[in-house]
Parts: sequence; structure tokens; C-alpha cells
Amino acid sequence: MRNTKKATILLAAMAVDAGSSGIVSGATPPPPIARVIEGDRALGEYLSGECVTCHQLSGNYDGIPSIVGWPAPWLVEAMNDFKAHKRANPVMQTIAGRYSAEEIAALAVYFESLMKQPPR
Amino acid sequence: MQTTRRSLLGGALAFAGAAVTGAPMVRGQAKPRVVVIGGGAGGATAARYIAKDSKGAVDVTLVEEGQTYQTCFFSNLYLGGFRSYESIVHRYDRLASEHGIRLAQQRAARIDRDKKTVLLADGSILPYDRLVVAPGIDLKYDSVPGWSREAEDLMPHAWKPGRQTQLLKARLDAVPDGGLIVMVAPPNPYRCPPGPYERVSMMAHVLKATGRTKCKIIIVDPKDRFSKMGLFQEGWEAHYPGMVEWLAPSVHDGIKSVDPKTNTVVTGFETYQAALVNVIPAQMAGAIAREAGLAGASGYCAIDPASMKSAVDPNVFVLGDACVAGDMPKSAFSANSQAKVAAMTIRAELTDSRAFPARYANTCWSLIETDDGVKVGGRYEPTPEKIKEVEGFVSKTGESKELRKQTYEESIGWYAGITADIFG
Ligand SMILES: Cc1cc2nc3c(=O)[nH]c(=O)nc-3n(C[C@H](O)[C@H](O)[C@H](O)COP(=O)(O)OP(=O)(O)OC[C@H]3O[C@@H](n4cnc5c(N)ncnc54)[C@H](O)[C@@H]3O)c2cc1C
Repeated sequence: MRNTKKATILLAAMAVDAGSSGIVSGATPPPPIARVIEGDRALGEYLSGECVTCHQLSGNYDGIPSIVGWPAPWLVEAMNDFKAHKRANPVMQTIAGRYSAEEIAALAVYFESLMKQPPR
Repeated sequence: MQTTRRSLLGGALAFAGAAVTGAPMVRGQAKPRVVVIGGGAGGATAARYIAKDSKGAVDVTLVEEGQTYQTCFFSNLYLGGFRSYESIVHRYDRLASEHGIRLAQQRAARIDRDKKTVLLADGSILPYDRLVVAPGIDLKYDSVPGWSREAEDLMPHAWKPGRQTQLLKARLDAVPDGGLIVMVAPPNPYRCPPGPYERVSMMAHVLKATGRTKCKIIIVDPKDRFSKMGLFQEGWEAHYPGMVEWLAPSVHDGIKSVDPKTNTVVTGFETYQAALVNVIPAQMAGAIAREAGLAGASGYCAIDPASMKSAVDPNVFVLGDACVAGDMPKSAFSANSQAKVAAMTIRAELTDSRAFPARYANTCWSLIETDDGVKVGGRYEPTPEKIKEVEGFVSKTGESKELRKQTYEESIGWYAGITADIFG
């Protein structure tokens, strides 16, 4: 009902975020290799409001790439690269930098759900 | 920051495990009602998100006096000849046809906050459970001595979109080579901090492109500095040498008066006889918000940073240029971002949807010359005092041509994206 989806691909996100994201305080963290994050689609839909100001929901391209229907691992990788300043755009660095691994997972699952086939 | 993230996570996980609890529905009526006043960047986004995401569970009425919406954003690109006028005009029909939003295309005359109703110009009354007020700005016609509403066609402001924007372009096109243009810049806080300086860039571009390089543009500014100042000054020097002069108050010694009939501008130091004067006056929240008692002494409306609720009425939300948004500038991007927080909060209050922590973003792109785009922006989070910038960025002087071109192309993408996000 919550429409969550396993996004096991998020191990990379966890690695980047290690140390800064304190999952739920008090809970014993599972061994990193087994960590699986539930991509919370409803959270992703809310957070996506920030993305779709520029990345059009229609998937149209007018100067800013479409992210609609991207497989979740692509978005996670892109966001982590911006977060780590491995990719250059300051708008995206600022946006990605403030997202936790869980939020990135939520966004990835949401955008993946918008279209079955990747548009590329 | 850590606390915010933790509480978000805790909240999200707690929700994920629990069944949806009873919704705080408004009792005794079929559907909760939301009225939105103002179909601009803030109001139309809020109406669209509430209607779209509640999937018919909330009755949304958008009150907008204009038949179409002309964006102020990119109006400078129209002035510079980079966009057609048609490309900055948007319609409301998809909001109605795709999301079932009721359109009331007339002026909202009065808000009765006790009765929770909005009176329209035609005398009809709209009751609301939640009201969104996003009327944009009104101009302070008395803030520049000698200037007035009656004189706005002689010395156009073009700070509210539409006819004024077209008038300014026509007047710019008529300036003879060697003619002087004076811009009277606005004091803080005003709509679109880099806007006046992007406008000057676009004016200079047009003059240069049409061979009128003996023209001069003087900016008489009541401020000591301005948004993206180093970037604009570098660009003016590089692209329009000798054509643009910016005067700080210490240099011009105050704007004493203007005379619209003779096109003169008098400062403490000098009297300018101009071919075109663009007066951008001081601003305040739109009348409907002020008359409803939502604005403070500043002329703008205080809000709760976590929800965009009015500080004086929990059933009213104020968005965009009309509100006091802390560190966020008055921009379409900001208004659109604030609208999503308000829409999320309103849906959570009126239906069984989840509430999430507020988060805000803004980027303002400006064009200095063909393919020379710059940007400034940031991320914002609510604190008890204000919406606070938590991270920001700005283009750097000396950037490569390629990067500047990319930045401009990004702005084109943003315009297509945000207008689709606002109007469907
Ligand atoms: C030259 C210029 C360039 C700009 N460039 C940019 C840019 O590049 N990027 C950016 O993000 N922003 C830019 N802006 C700023 C942007 O236009 C505003 O910040 C934005 O429009 C604010 O949105 P809003 O919803 O608060 O108000 P508005 O967009 O002004 O919308 C308010 C609406 O309410 C309606 N209204 C008011 N009162 C009533 C009433 N009583 N009844 C019915 N309807 C009513 C009005 O008709 C209007 O349509 C620029 C502004 C200017 C002037």
C-alpha cells in the first residue's frame, strides 16, 4: 500500500553517506553489506517536486536532461556523484548534497516508477 | 541539521510500519474546499499540486483576474530579442481540464477571515477550509518623487508583466544612437533581485546589436550593492564597454525626483535628460493580502517557515512575492518551491495524505549577453525564526565560455520545466 520497493542498489549511497546518516537512533545497524533500503515512493513523490521544476515530468528535453523512467541505480549513482562533487553542476551539487541515502532511494524509486522503459 | 534528518527518517520509518491512521477530515461536508487567490508562479503551482495529488478529494478553486499569465521571468529575454512575446504567455485551461480545478477568472475583492470566505468582484462568495494567498506584488507608486501610476506609461516600470513589458520594448527600440537610458533601481526587498541588472544587460545587448553603441545606460541605485554584482560588472565591461554605468547612493547622493513629462531624473549630484527612464519602484504584497490584515509593517506577510501558513491565521497560507520568506529571494522558483510545501501541508490537514518536512530551493539564472549565462541559488530549511539558507552557490567571474553557454541552456530548460510544472 505504501508502494515501497526494494532498492538494493543503494549500498553505494550508504557508503557515501556513512557517518553522516544516523539511520534510526538506538537501532542496531545491520552489517553494511546486507543493508537494504526501502525506497519510500510517497516520500519520493513529495521530494520530486524539487526536481520537476527543471526536469520535466513529461520527459521532454529543453536544455535539462529528462530523468523520468530512469532505472533507480542510475539516479542513485548520479546523485551520489553530485554529492561527492564528482560531477560538476553546482545546482545539482547543492541539491544532492542535502539528501540522505534514504531520500535518494525514495527519489530513485519514484522516478523509476514513472515509466516502464528508460527513455534513452 | 542532523536532528532534521533524524526526525524525518524516524517519521518515514514509523509511517512505513504503521497502518494509515484516521484522517483529520473536515467534518460535515462532502469535500474540503481550498481557494487559491492568484494564478502566478506560487498560486497556480499550489492549486495544481493540491488538485493533482489529492486526486479529486479536495475541491480547488483558483481565482485569477487575468485571462492569461505573462511571466515576468524571461521577460528580460523578450526585451533582449531572445524570446517572442507569445513564448512568455501561458494559459490556465489545462489546470481546469487535467486536474478539475475550478477557475474564477476575476478579481478577488475581499477576504473575510472570520467567516472563511472570499468575496469576488461579481459579488459571488467562495467559502474555504484553507485559503492560499499568492497575489504577487503591488508597486509603491509614491516611493519615487515625481513618479505615479498616471506616469507609468511615460516612465514604464515593466515590473508587472504584460502591456508594460511590451511598452518598455517599444520604447527601447525607439532610443536613438547616443541616447541616454536611466534605470531607477528598487530598494530591498523586491521581486527578482538580479532582475534589474539582467534587464540592463539585455538593453545593452539590443543597443549594441543594432549599432547604437554611443548610447549609455545609467543605473541610479538606492542600494550599495546588488545580486551577482561582480558577475554583471565583469560582463558589462567585457561586452558593453563604456555603455553601462552603475551608481551607488554614495555616488549619486540620492534620487531626488523624476519628471515624467520631460524625462528627467534628478539626483543629489546631477540632472539627467534621458531618452528612456525605467522606474522600478519599491514594492509590497498585493492589496488583497494587505487588506486582509496578513501583512506587517514591512508591507509583506509573515509566515510559519515550516508550512507557509500565515503567521496570523492558521487557515491561510501566503506564498511567493507577497510573503516574508527569510533568506529566499522573491523569485518564481522560490514561489513554486514554497507552493509545494503549502500544498503538501494542506493535503495532510484536509485528507489522509502524509506530511513531510518542508524543504525549499531556488536558482535564479541571468543572461548577460548571448550565451553568457550566470546563476545564483541555494537550498533552504525552516528554522523557528525564518526560512534559512543552508547551502548556496553562485557562478564565478572568469568562467569559460562553454560553461556560461551551458548555464544559459540550463535556464532555457528551467523555463520549460517550471512553466509546465505551474500550468500543466
Ligand atoms: C523582469 C523580471 C525578471 C524576472 N526573472 C525571474 C527569473 O529569471 N527567475 C525567477 O525565478 N523569477 C524571476 N522573476 C520574479 C518572478 O516573476 C516573481 O517572483 C514571481 O512571479 C512571483 O510569483 P507570485 O505567484 O508570488 O506572483 P505573480 O507571479 O505575480 O502572480 C500573482 C498573480 O495574482 C493575481 N492577482 C493578484 N491579486 C489578485 C486578486 N485580488 N484577485 C485575483 N487575482 C489576483 C495577478 O494577476 C497575478 O497573476 C522576475 C521578475 C521580473 C520583474
